[in-house]
Amino acid sequence: MARYPTLHPDHPLPDVDEPIGRPFWEHCRNHELRIQQSRSSGRFVFPPRPHYAGDFEWVRVSGRGRILSFVIVRPPFLPAFQARVPFPIAVVELDEGPRLVGQVLDCAIDDVRCGMSVEVVFEDLTEQVTLPQWRPVRP
Amino acid sequence: MPATVRLNDRAAIVGIGQLPFSKDIGRPIGDTAVEAVLRALEDAGLKPSDVDGTVKFQMEDTQECAIARRAGVDNLRFFCEVKYGGGPNCAVVGHAAAAITLGLASVVVCWRARNRAARTSRPWAQERGVVHDDKMWHLPWGLIRPVDLIAMWGRYHMERYGTTREQLAEVAIAFRKHAMRNPAAMMQKPLSLDDYLGSRMIGDPLCLYDCSLESDGAIACVVTSAERARDLRHRPAYVHAYAQGTGPNQVHLANYNTSDFSTSARYCAEELWRRSDLQPKDIQCAQIYDAFTPLVILGLEEYGLCEAGAGGRFVAGGTLGPGGKLPTNTSGGSLSEAYVHGMNLVSEGVRQIHGTSTSQVPDCKAVLVTGAAAVSTSALVLRGD
Repeated sequence: MARYPTLHPDHPLPDVDEPIGRPFWEHCRNHELRIQQSRSSGRFVFPPRPHYAGDFEWVRVSGRGRILSFVIVRPPFLPAFQARVPFPIAVVELDEGPRLVGQVLDCAIDDVRCGMSVEVVFEDLTEQVTLPQWRPVRP
Repeated sequence: MPATVRLNDRAAIVGIGQLPFSKDIGRPIGDTAVEAVLRALEDAGLKPSDVDGTVKFQMEDTQECAIARRAGVDNLRFFCEVKYGGGPNCAVVGHAAAAITLGLASVVVCWRARNRAARTSRPWAQERGVVHDDKMWHLPWGLIRPVDLIAMWGRYHMERYGTTREQLAEVAIAFRKHAMRNPAAMMQKPLSLDDYLGSRMIGDPLCLYDCSLESDGAIACVVTSAERARDLRHRPAYVHAYAQGTGPNQVHLANYNTSDFSTSARYCAEELWRRSDLQPKDIQCAQIYDAFTPLVILGLEEYGLCEAGAGGRFVAGGTLGPGGKLPTNTSGGSLSEAYVHGMNLVSEGVRQIHGTSTSQVPDCKAVLVTGAAAVSTSALVLRGD
């Protein structure tokens, strides 16, 4: 897998070829956040489920949400994240309901708060892997 | 719906055995597991040839046939293992009780041998490259260490209910006090609030003393029928009720998907109390899975020992310590005795019923034991005559 030169060789990466989650990662690669929605109930589900387990459609969501909780990862930590520590990881509840974890970027670690409004920002780790991350919504 | 088979008090834990906890036991788990099993059988007054069943932790990389062979067991007619790290500490006993109640086995041994004190033995530190299944949804962002995964619940609780670091410290300090009465516990030095507040942050808001120990250890217990238990050496620790639970949309270790940010324990608790004649108000002593302090506060709430959201206030003032209103993790628990995936919580629950704890609750007849709550979990109510 081609990697961007700044990426540590041991950095954990998602299995983007796994069939259940593959569409999610494909959309991320295009810098689009899409989540499965049940056509009949309107409910969004995450993590992804197999297409045959419901009447799901990959729907583009607002990319906005709020921080439900977060942790500041302090060193010592894995070498793969050496350039980032200390860094905040949050559980973000999307406006549409589902919850995703991701780093809070463009924000001093002392300024991260529960309830903070955030929006998605895409970070390309390799040619195949793009992670949705989060940054504060600034008025 | 088929009629439910009630397991209540049909089987009992009749013996426990353990090896000294240490930072380097110097022996493989396929060896220490055998010795723990033999010690538990000796404690019960039973022989290896009496054993015909095993239930083990899936995460333990041993084979039950090899453990049985080395221990001198003739034939296993029931064996299984339960997955999810420290989630199954109570399920292993529950499955044993179920097998005995159904007549699938008559004497079942359960154990956990775990060598995790060495830095090189920590699974999270080995994570690299492409990750699969549930891990794919949190590891790539750096949410990897158990402390960080659990800190999410800690922060949420602090934010929503006003729980403080001083209240988390109460948990750690209470368990240290129990440990200091228990010669087998790894931690024997006093722990003060200043020590706690002065320690380094790891997964902020959690600090060093919010984290359990890393230990080498091996603990086993023996389960048999209530009838047979009455003829043995100890006052039987009846398996009064047992339950397992995942909760909805469970993601292993990172299940932040419940509407109220509760853990799998809430769902396990509902099932446990439905199956139990004893209820939270009857519990005299608790053994709550304590890989990290927030899990204790959440566990007390989710198992109904205090009101939802009130766990921080409940533990303040020494509630969980020696002589407190609800002595909890009375051997020192995972925070101060040893971290053996909660098998020491089971064995300490049994000691409370046997009357042999070093922090003995007088005339203890009702103990709650719980498993790791951030994962698919399990719980037990142990009852004494």
